[in-house]
Amino acid sequence: MVLRQKLFSVMMLAGLCLALGGVPAVRPALAQAPQDGGTIVVGLQAEPATLDPPQLSDYNTARAVYNMYDGLLKFKDESTEVQPGLAESWEISTDGLVYTLHLRQGVKFHDGTPFNAEAVKFNLERQFDVNHPYHNTGDFAYADFTWGSVKQVDVVDDHTVKITLKNVLAPFISHLAMHPAFMVSPEAIKKYGRDISTHPVGTGPYRFVSWTPGAEVVEEQNPDYWGTPAHVDKLIFRPIIEDQARLTELQAGGINFMVNIPPDDLAGLKSDPRFTVVEQTGMHTWWVYLNTMKEPLKDVRVRQALSYAVNKKAIVDNILKETGVLAINPMPPVVWSYTDQVERYDYNPEKAKQLLAEAGYPNGFPCVFWTPESGSGMQMPVLMSTAIQADLKLVGVDCQIKTFEWGAFLEQGVVPPDKKPEWDLMAFSWIGDNGDPDNHLYILLSGDQWPPNGFNCGYYKNDQVDELLRQGRTTLDRAKRTEIYQQAQKLIVQDAPWILVDHETQIVVMDQHIKNFKLHPTGPFRFADVWIEQ
Amino acid sequence: MTRYVVQRLLSLLPVLLGVTLLVFLVMQLAPGDPARIMLGAHANEESVTQLRRDLGLDQPWYVQFARWLGGVLRGDWGRSIQLKREVLPYIAGRFQNSAYLMLLAIFMACGMGVPAGILSAVRQYSPGDRIAMVLVLIGFSTPVFWLGIILQIVFGLWFGILPVSGIQTPGQAGTLDLLLHMVLPSLALATAPMAIIARMTRSSMLEVIRQDYMRTAHAKGLAERVMIGRHALRNSLIPVVTIIGLQVGYLLGGDILVELVFSYPGIGLAMVTGILARDFPLVQGAILMVAASYVVVNLVTDLAYAYIDPRIRYGE
Repeated sequence: MVLRQKLFSVMMLAGLCLALGGVPAVRPALAQAPQDGGTIVVGLQAEPATLDPPQLSDYNTARAVYNMYDGLLKFKDESTEVQPGLAESWEISTDGLVYTLHLRQGVKFHDGTPFNAEAVKFNLERQFDVNHPYHNTGDFAYADFTWGSVKQVDVVDDHTVKITLKNVLAPFISHLAMHPAFMVSPEAIKKYGRDISTHPVGTGPYRFVSWTPGAEVVEEQNPDYWGTPAHVDKLIFRPIIEDQARLTELQAGGINFMVNIPPDDLAGLKSDPRFTVVEQTGMHTWWVYLNTMKEPLKDVRVRQALSYAVNKKAIVDNILKETGVLAINPMPPVVWSYTDQVERYDYNPEKAKQLLAEAGYPNGFPCVFWTPESGSGMQMPVLMSTAIQADLKLVGVDCQIKTFEWGAFLEQGVVPPDKKPEWDLMAFSWIGDNGDPDNHLYILLSGDQWPPNGFNCGYYKNDQVDELLRQGRTTLDRAKRTEIYQQAQKLIVQDAPWILVDHETQIVVMDQHIKNFKLHPTGPFRFADVWIEQ
Repeated sequence: MTRYVVQRLLSLLPVLLGVTLLVFLVMQLAPGDPARIMLGAHANEESVTQLRRDLGLDQPWYVQFARWLGGVLRGDWGRSIQLKREVLPYIAGRFQNSAYLMLLAIFMACGMGVPAGILSAVRQYSPGDRIAMVLVLIGFSTPVFWLGIILQIVFGLWFGILPVSGIQTPGQAGTLDLLLHMVLPSLALATAPMAIIARMTRSSMLEVIRQDYMRTAHAKGLAERVMIGRHALRNSLIPVVTIIGLQVGYLLGGDILVELVFSYPGIGLAMVTGILARDFPLVQGAILMVAASYVVVNLVTDLAYAYIDPRIRYGE
């Protein structure tokens, strides 16, 4: 099957070359085998907060942590489908409540202790069981999200573990590939206590060497890795806070791999032969909440009008400059079940005016628009919000923008409806965690996920959507779930509870000699298969 | 003298108590919940409440403050909420980095500012004086973060002779490497104080060289070098020393920006990230350390007067 696919690809390529009138020169790089050695120096945006995976809650930390650990399962390359990790295989009971994992044998943690079923039980219970003797060795941001539905974890034998859930939760399988399911050596946790945060011990292709606060985290290739050993000798993660300084460091050779490129510099880097630019649309969405509890945003025609009134494409083209793609759906295209068969709100101020007039607001209305100054995944919130403000003004909707520092913004903007937030419009963004549609649609748009339960901050409620989202998270069959979620996406976009703007593109720029690097939609950098051309 | 120093050191205590209380209250008043910021948008309310309880953030502010203060007195400065490590060793390391940076900056500022001021005064209205004073004006008016970026591009990228950011070259950490990393940030930091010191030295020197005793010295036929070096300089230094002392306060402020631009892991950077994360223990600890150092620097400045001007005596 695979062979046939390959043959087909080769024939297609040959056909394409002939059609273009030539045969491509054989490029030596294609023929090259991976080479061992070298160092990758990554410029991060901030210092990692911890090197203990269940405690992490931001991208910088995830990136420094990822290569030292293995999860029970693993997301496939460039996808959020799961594949075996430390668990070689698994079964799910027909009622969807019991997950039996068969663990890989002969795996050892970096401290030489064995990885087994007891270690799995220890790792999971450490996070969700408040009475676990080592629960106080960390703060587990994702414990509830990941393990909230777990009733118990049982060791069947040394290499088999059984996880029993309280209720059926279809996305649970993806949780087994997330960072809270990265296995940390129980002996190391017992030895270091809370300081496990700075003494990471996993099973991954790289192992910890040192962490100089504020300067660097150093990791080296693990020669005893259970899988194929990594090619690059050393990984160094350096926090360089200012985007401009990070870029200068890259150009000066102080780092050879960087994240978060200022949009204005992207084109220049793409044309610079010294560097390779790798891009991938991440699991991200940027939008503006409309407070559906308030007049006149209660009226679906008004909400649709606002979506028509904003020139989203201009924001993507002129402000984000290729660092994002236009969003037409709350779910990013990279998440399975995504459909583009939804109502489109292409820029159309005339239609917006018409809808406003139908709703009884021919002259528009005043409103309050909250936006943070910066924040996780918020891209360029003030600039983007100002562009939206200007577009809305053209159809008579006169917004007053209020900006906030991120912490204050979250506290005052994300509130239960009885607190009656002042805002009518609020800029927000979301980065998915587990690649499941539930992680976008349920938590952000279900009627039972108004704050403080979830992040349906505009208090959107549609009973039909709620029912679909409930079915989606309790149905195990993937084909059925896809159908359910596609139906939900159509209904949601029809209701226009948000002004959708973009999905941010993940971009890294690296030295051109670094080969075989692929970005993953979940954000961390996978260096196990990467090599450096000497 | 000893009594004076002890008295001054004791007076540190109420100042520090006041500063920390003030900072604590400001942090309390600022909106934003450290537990929510730390757990991120994805944690549910229950986990946030639990963490708030674990961190003692559900207690009234005075209980929190008293607990923190009690801890500090026992040498336990608490654990950083965001970085999950002990505050004291962490900020002590950071403070040491900043201290190196500021020392080098002060050294640069004095090393260039004082001679420039003297030369300008001695050759008043000469082209050299005018050029120096224009440079001083530019130096004083240049925003420190902009200067930082320009220095990075010129010396790090174009000439490629100095490291752009951070504190060590991977795998080559050492004293020389540290010094090289400090050159650009301390130069950026030193520019404004250098300008002020140069101006102050010039005007103070101008005043002194017009004094009668200077004319007498001149009449005696003393060489200009001796006149300026032995008689004028020491007498003109009092206001300069005051300014240098005050500049340390400025340096602490400018240091935050410089550390941000150069990703230099000092106390300023620790404070900024701490404030954004509402990391009370970290911010409190850092402020305490900075405030203490400021008071001590002022004390050292006062003691320096006595050394320079024999007429000034303390505690007698």
